[in-house]
Amino acid sequence: MYRYDEFDHDIVQSRVAQFRDQVQRRLEGAITEDQFKPLRLQNGLYLQLHAYMLRVAIPYGTLNSKQIRQLAMIADKYDRGYGHVTTRQNMQYNWPELTDVPDILQDLADVEMHAFQTSGNCIRNVTSDPYAGATSEEVEDPRPTAELLRQWSTIHPEFAFLPRKFKIAVTASKSDRAVIRAHDIGIEIVRNDAGEVGYHVLVGGGLGRTPIIGVTLRAFLPRVELLPYLEAVMRVYNRYGRRDNKYKARIKILVQETGIEDFKAQVDAEYETLDPAEIAVSDSEVARIAAYFAPPEFEALSDEDAEFDAAYKADASFANWVDTNIATHKAPGYAIVNISLKPLDRAPGDITSDQMRAAGDLADEFSFSELRTTHQQNIVLPHVKKSDLPALFKALAAHKMADANIGLIGDIICCPGMDFCALATARSIPISQAISERFSDPARQRAIGEMQIKISGCINACGHHHVGHIGILGLEKAGVEFYQVKLGGDASETAAVGDVTGPGFSHDELLDGIDRLVDFYMSTREEGERFIDSYRRLGMAPFKEVLYGT
Amino acid sequence: MSAKHKGKGPQALTANHLREGFVVWLTPDMGWSPHFKDALLSEDETVIDQMQAQGDKDDSDNLITGVYFIDVDAETKLPARYRERFRVGGPSYDTAAHIKKHGVR
Ligand code: HEM
Ligand code: SF4
Repeated sequence: MYRYDEFDHDIVQSRVAQFRDQVQRRLEGAITEDQFKPLRLQNGLYLQLHAYMLRVAIPYGTLNSKQIRQLAMIADKYDRGYGHVTTRQNMQYNWPELTDVPDILQDLADVEMHAFQTSGNCIRNVTSDPYAGATSEEVEDPRPTAELLRQWSTIHPEFAFLPRKFKIAVTASKSDRAVIRAHDIGIEIVRNDAGEVGYHVLVGGGLGRTPIIGVTLRAFLPRVELLPYLEAVMRVYNRYGRRDNKYKARIKILVQETGIEDFKAQVDAEYETLDPAEIAVSDSEVARIAAYFAPPEFEALSDEDAEFDAAYKADASFANWVDTNIATHKAPGYAIVNISLKPLDRAPGDITSDQMRAAGDLADEFSFSELRTTHQQNIVLPHVKKSDLPALFKALAAHKMADANIGLIGDIICCPGMDFCALATARSIPISQAISERFSDPARQRAIGEMQIKISGCINACGHHHVGHIGILGLEKAGVEFYQVKLGGDASETAAVGDVTGPGFSHDELLDGIDRLVDFYMSTREEGERFIDSYRRLGMAPFKEVLYGT
Repeated sequence: MSAKHKGKGPQALTANHLREGFVVWLTPDMGWSPHFKDALLSEDETVIDQMQAQGDKDDSDNLITGVYFIDVDAETKLPARYRERFRVGGPSYDTAAHIKKHGVR
């Protein structure tokens, strides 16, 4: 896994020292807030509605047990005993004090972590498939590519002052678990007809106030061309991206205004001026990085396990959890385990320090010490023996981490909203809690099947509401919160932006409306259909009618 | 940063404490309190000028940051804007409160 070289070590250590000095100078008044703000943001430190907020980078969502225990320690020592997993696989602390942040960064550096590239107009922390290295679907592990991009983009002088933030996601499976089509650049590792591995490059996706699904820039980019080609893309963006208007500064607007064909031509022209050999990394370097991600030594097992089968038959709650939270592993006899961070009474994505420690211990015991954070705001143990699943389930239940709701209506994505965020227009956490409560019956959840509800507390769309099967946007007018609904969004490989249904709803109207939507879908769905499938088949009109109860 | 008030009705002056980051309001004795009930509310332009001078001074003395005036509802004595009412009340849900209540982390 990500093994942070000497190079990183030196940069991170010097950054901690630098920031300690910057904080000191800020407190003494040697620098003003205007001078300090960009410096703190470069280290992931925001000022939020009630307090500072620190966003810690988790490159492509990969963590080891030692790191998650350190995150727990930080939550206890400097914060309020918990952290929040974000839709870009990072972890946020809601209550750090400025004077503690240099120490927090040092504690992170001690386990090879930091808060770089979690804020500002740079290439942000690269995200990836939480099943990387474990799923049978993948062409190869996408993390070496993500890591290559991380190294290339980290503190790259040319990319430190882009027109706007820039987000990249990498997957290597047909099933998209990283929302690559809602990223500035999405990369899918693919194999061509000749059997060679290369990159399907998408560009110009994004959410925010102007949601756009990314389009293909190159259907197959040969492996060696990746960095030079992306460098050409970044240069075109740096040159032509709109710096005059913050709302039009993302690459998606440039691609829309230029047209994908002309944009492609500009990138190609720029590529011609580059010396690819100067930028591309050697095969040996690629191999060196890939070696970091060498798979653990899986035992040679049969995919049939008597112990597992017996437990599955004997214990219905275990069987339900297996049915929803377990995914197929590439190694026979192993499974990918999703740990839900969506219990009824919590904010989606919040995890307490005790739960972090428990997750770390269980990763040591059952998953080669490896964990992942997901854009769905959950946790994954990537490599668990099937025979260990009953014991793991028991241990998770003891820490309230055994909710069997992955991919179901209770597995809601939700941003912090007005409860924490300085930019919010309305609350989002109470809406997610009320929906979870309304649909708390596990049998009903399972009957409804796959359903993705996504909630944002303002137009910035951090909660991905544009791509929710049901998307909810919180707004406010004259001191009263109301909620706009979108239907038919999709965050997967068949990505789509949802359609606005019409005027917004109060909290209570919204809940009743969703109830009616779900009942209607259940009554009209055809064999094997998910909510999104029925919506696509029938279109907006009948759903709108039941939503508004007309 | 200095925030000239442009609001209507009674004004309060708010900011974040620089070191801790927590929300504070200016009090009648020209100090800062984390409790809105302690806040100085005034419509008197002379007092408002004094409040502004104090805010600017404490900002440049690195005690607080992000200082600005807010409108206060004359009847309810609460901030007029929805967002500011949240800064008074804190999060309506916080896992920290959950942890405290149940005694488990
Ligand atoms: C300090 C709190 C936050 C601030 C100030 C903030 C700010 C913003 C802004 C301004 C945008 C719109 C960007 C654009 O369209 O150019 C945005 C988008 C986004 N944010 Fe946040 N956000 C915050 C918290 C979060 C959290 C907690 C998450 C994850 C749960 C998150 C994930 C995202 C994502 C995924 C997007 C949309 C993707 C895109 O950039 O197109 N943000 N954020
Ligand atoms: S969507 Fe809006 S309210 Fe939610 S975290 Fe993003 S900026 Fe804040």
